[in-house]
Amino acid sequence: MSTLTPPQPAPSPAPEPSPARRPKPARLSLADVIRTGGSGLRSRPMRVFLSALGIAIGIAAMIGVVGISTSSQEELSRKLAALGTNLLTAEPGQSFTGEQAHLPDDAVRMARAVPEMESVSAIGKTDAKVYRNDRVPPQETGGLSVYAARTDLPDTVGIEVTGGRWLNAANTKYPAVVLGSRTAQQLGIDEAGPDAQVWLGDRWFTVIGLLAPNELAPELDSAALVGWPAAERELGFDGYPTTVYTRAEEAAVTDVQEILGATVNPESPNEVEVSRPSDALAAKQATDDALSGLLLGLGAVALLVGGVGVANTMVISVLERRAEIGLRRSLGATRGQIRTQFLCESLLLSALGGVGGVALGIAVTTGYAGYQGWPTVVPLWAMAGGVGATLIIGGLAGFYPAVRAARLPPTEALAAA
Amino acid sequence: MRPPVVDLDGVAKTYGDVAALADAHLTVRRGEMLAIVGPSGSGKSTMLNIMGTLARPTAGTVRIDGHAVDDLSDRELSALRARTIGFVFQSFHLAGGVPALDAVADGLLYSGLPRGDRRRLAEAALRRVGLGPRLYSEPHQLSGGEKQRVAIARAVVGDPPLLLADEPTGALDSRSGAVVMELLHELHGAGTTVVVITHDRDIAESLPREVRIKDGRIEHDSAALRQEAVAR
Ligand SMILES: Nc1ncnc2c1ncn2[C@@H]1O[C@H](COP(=O)(O)OP(=O)(O)OP(=O)(O)O)[C@@H](O)[C@H]1O
Ligand SMILES: [Mg+2]
Repeated sequence: MSTLTPPQPAPSPAPEPSPARRPKPARLSLADVIRTGGSGLRSRPMRVFLSALGIAIGIAAMIGVVGISTSSQEELSRKLAALGTNLLTAEPGQSFTGEQAHLPDDAVRMARAVPEMESVSAIGKTDAKVYRNDRVPPQETGGLSVYAARTDLPDTVGIEVTGGRWLNAANTKYPAVVLGSRTAQQLGIDEAGPDAQVWLGDRWFTVIGLLAPNELAPELDSAALVGWPAAERELGFDGYPTTVYTRAEEAAVTDVQEILGATVNPESPNEVEVSRPSDALAAKQATDDALSGLLLGLGAVALLVGGVGVANTMVISVLERRAEIGLRRSLGATRGQIRTQFLCESLLLSALGGVGGVALGIAVTTGYAGYQGWPTVVPLWAMAGGVGATLIIGGLAGFYPAVRAARLPPTEALAAA
Repeated sequence: MRPPVVDLDGVAKTYGDVAALADAHLTVRRGEMLAIVGPSGSGKSTMLNIMGTLARPTAGTVRIDGHAVDDLSDRELSALRARTIGFVFQSFHLAGGVPALDAVADGLLYSGLPRGDRRRLAEAALRRVGLGPRLYSEPHQLSGGEKQRVAIARAVVGDPPLLLADEPTGALDSRSGAVVMELLHELHGAGTTVVVITHDRDIAESLPREVRIKDGRIEHDSAALRQEAVAR
């Protein structure tokens, strides 16, 4: 015969061929399934790129949204870890009769008596205003306030002095002032020192220190802080604290939060507003959720449109490749093998988009987080979910075209050439 | 006598009220080579598709290599084609951008052989059709005759007992057509059963057996005449 080995020994010649064993189709190996599925993609690279791009944009949008929000969460939790979540503030609220209440002047001492308390400090708002110089019209306050500050304020709040010194026992008696970051900027003060003078309460004060911005106590950013005795003497300050800052033991913060009102003002605890600034900071971050939801929805729509694109590509592919389908049937492919081939092609196509989309989403997250100075965090579940979602889409998009391809009668398919 | 590879018994195929094939009786034995010849629309391709199990007859029984086609499911027919039948078509059916070696190896894709063996056999088949130096050529780099030789290599790479060729020279000039026919003769010489459909009378007459078909009916079979002659 020939030099070739037949794949299966031919039935031995017999006068009456005995009813041969029923032929059984061979299974394709996984590698062959993937190779065959990929063969349709390789011959149409541009179309593959564009259909995969549709999927990729959807996945990238979703990965980007999740990644950016996770990165900002990570930034927040790092920030909170640095700032601490155990800062509590007590401020006077409205009195029973609706007037502005005030805290007792020994509120700080009483707060300090709580056993779980680590430190306590306070500021008191004065009626004085601060100006760049004595020629600025009095009504142009620029939203800046002047406070009397206790010398232990930085320890409790955790605020940093970036230039010069903080108020101390020695300088609080003199007309010396420490400026919050926004105050300094607005008054045009770049550096603390004897030459840095501001017009405060009808006289010149020397700027002895500048503060770094602080997110737990943003009110200090637009404050000018003078020593408690100086405020009482020079600015007619009444001596009542308007914000009491406390740091409680981490484990006892919520308990302390509940009793703080009654502690600083035992006579009328309802007139005290207690808050936990770290909660406010977290809540501010949470308001972005609505936008994230919207973007996530847009990503889902893009993904859906991408899926429709893949389905469209697959339907066209099946129509164009009827002759190939006919040929494969003549070579012995079963309907199931044709179906598998086109389903595999669809899965590969969308998986390509999915992997590209995840990469694009990571790039977008990295870029945005880098620009914001955040750490980049893309959760693994989002990446796995992205690729998983594209596989589902690929399966759905490829199902109908694959079934149609498999149902095509071989003679009709061959006639299409 | 050698066993039949193809056995048609009273086979008919109708499309609506068009009788593409009517009451066909035909036996092809192992190692035969024959031409099925007839004018356009006479039912040649219909008959070949039925022999190749690509279509089922409307009436009659078909046995291919001992299997009654009626008894087999679509899956089993696919497996039968993978092992028993090689096809050559007028239009080559070679995918663009696929090198000859891969195209021929695809002829064994559904046979269950591992890829290495498929490629090894494909190379041997290409050498056998004289395309040893063109293993990696893509269809656009090949002439029509060479393309048809690649298609023939793909059809015989698994050494099927039955080779069905539907107008294999139909798209070729006479020189390339002659080369292709010579190749089919060689395969026949090596033991393959070859059925060639043609509307070219010269080609038909050059083959050992000639079956003429018209309007879906077999009107002449040189083998039957010979048998009658022997009987007389
Ligand atoms: N799928 C089909 N649906 C309807 N009619 C068909 C179909 N296939 C073939 N026919 C008809 O059956 C008859 C035989 O067709 P067939 O293709 O077998 O002819 P043929 O001898 O191969 O012709 P040609 O030499 O032109 O290829 C023709 O009249 C044709 O119109
Ligand atoms: Mg025909």
